[in-house]
Amino acid sequence: MFSLKLNRFVSLCPIKNIKLFSVEAPQAAQVDPVSALPISKQEEVLRHPDYFNVHNLFTVQDLFEARVHYGHKEGSLDERMLPYIYGSRLGHLIFDLDKTATYLRLALNIVAHVAYRDGIILFFLRGAQNAHLVEQTAKECGEFAHTRFWRGGIFTNANKQFGAVTRLPDLCIFMNTLNNILTTHTAVRDAAKMTIITIGVVDTNCNPSLITYPVPGNDDSPASIELYCKLFKSAILRGKEKRREHLQQQ
Amino acid sequence: MLGRFARLKDPLKLLNQQAVQCLSNRPPNFETTGTVPSSTPAPEQAPQTKKTINKAMKAYLERAQEHDEFMKRQREEYQIGKRHLANMMGEDPEHFTQEDIDNAIEYLFPSGLFEKKARPFMKPPEEVFPQKKAAEFDETGRPHHFLFYTSKPNFYQTLHDTVQHINDLYMYEDAMLKKNLRPDKNLELDCSGYQWMTKEQLEGILMETIGDKDYDYFISSLERLIALPYSYTVKDFVMKYKTRLVSQMQDVEVPKPKYDSEGRAYITTYECRRKDARGDVTIRAPGTGKITINGKDINYFQDTQCREQGYKSAIGD
Repeated sequence: MFSLKLNRFVSLCPIKNIKLFSVEAPQAAQVDPVSALPISKQEEVLRHPDYFNVHNLFTVQDLFEARVHYGHKEGSLDERMLPYIYGSRLGHLIFDLDKTATYLRLALNIVAHVAYRDGIILFFLRGAQNAHLVEQTAKECGEFAHTRFWRGGIFTNANKQFGAVTRLPDLCIFMNTLNNILTTHTAVRDAAKMTIITIGVVDTNCNPSLITYPVPGNDDSPASIELYCKLFKSAILRGKEKRREHLQQQ
Repeated sequence: MLGRFARLKDPLKLLNQQAVQCLSNRPPNFETTGTVPSSTPAPEQAPQTKKTINKAMKAYLERAQEHDEFMKRQREEYQIGKRHLANMMGEDPEHFTQEDIDNAIEYLFPSGLFEKKARPFMKPPEEVFPQKKAAEFDETGRPHHFLFYTSKPNFYQTLHDTVQHINDLYMYEDAMLKKNLRPDKNLELDCSGYQWMTKEQLEGILMETIGDKDYDYFISSLERLIALPYSYTVKDFVMKYKTRLVSQMQDVEVPKPKYDSEGRAYITTYECRRKDARGDVTIRAPGTGKITINGKDINYFQDTQCREQGYKSAIGD
């Protein structure tokens, strides 16, 4: 897993000695949205295993009813997805919903923490059937969406693309990781290059290796996508609410 | 097969260990950070008394200020130039309109160039210099528009709105069908006098460049919206992207006939031309069929071919 390896590398080497590729003179201090929050509160929030109570957002029964356990046929299986699969029935692969639940809770926890620290969250979905729903979800929770053709340099060449110094997303959520031609979305690789955290719903034909927090599950049924949108939106709103509370308490 | 996967560490355990460490060491993801900030996270530094501004915002503010100053200078030059021009032409500087300016420039700088846009002109700076987009992000660098990262937010916002309208109209139609109601034929959306705006016009409205495929997709999405039975409810949205068809008949003015003392109608057309010949033609109605040219009859034209041409065109052949 590329991004996990990078984290391990970072923790081993003293951070002052690391130079990243875009070498420019260190600029004046930038406005850090996190520094507005009181330090004691930040540490309390980070130490807690589930500060935002995301484990309450859903049950395995909800996952079952939203048809999250349905995978594709055995022939299209990506071998790296085997750890997440319970078995197959009449040629159709079935996800292990207990594992999915654990991974999904992890992902929701991360989402809530990033939202708490005023991070930019970018939703991805490539597929006309559910694209509008994802854009709407992003709009409603005050975050961003990209359900269109991916122009190559958006992450890797952002300053030239947008014509100005641009802040990149802190978290990318992929509602499906494949694009219209059934290859992995370029943004998965680009996010890993720019050290952006990725959360992705990975189906049985997807490659989970570049995604930081994979969520094994169905990415094709509208019911599943609706459930994921609802859950991520609730997690984001919870994180933002806590942030408002703590800023007001100050 | 299981043996291959036994070497995989449990991803869950790894993630749990790394999650807290990762988040606490993580700075906001600015592309221009040359080095990773010091290992002590930001909160442990002394609280900054001066509010420092985001580099992105600073760069934008500089550019915006430059643009504003530039436009101000151009506007002043235009006003002073307008007054000088009025004085030159001997007109009143207070009441010198844009039309007067255009005429004056045409007089002072006669141009033989075919392309009208290449000829000299003097226009207010708002028309000459393209308007720039306003600041797209706030002080922390967070963009305002939720589709900012698509790099064509206005265009994709329009598509998003179109789909929203289509979905709303589907639901409305279902609700109407439940009550056994049909759409009123009289209210149906009629776009006969209108045409879709061109790609250039659309780019002007959106302040973004779009490709041909995107334009075609946009048009077909709107056509899809118009085709729905209750599309008249979203007429305002659709008409924003339509332009009126120019009427071709405006230039033709049928002149009215005059009446002489006997009550016969006649009409005179001046400056009729054929090669270098010029003539004034008077036609009377009801007529006798008599042709008079410069006092003589049709034999004014000594050449047979000229006579035949003239005669045949007169009888409308």
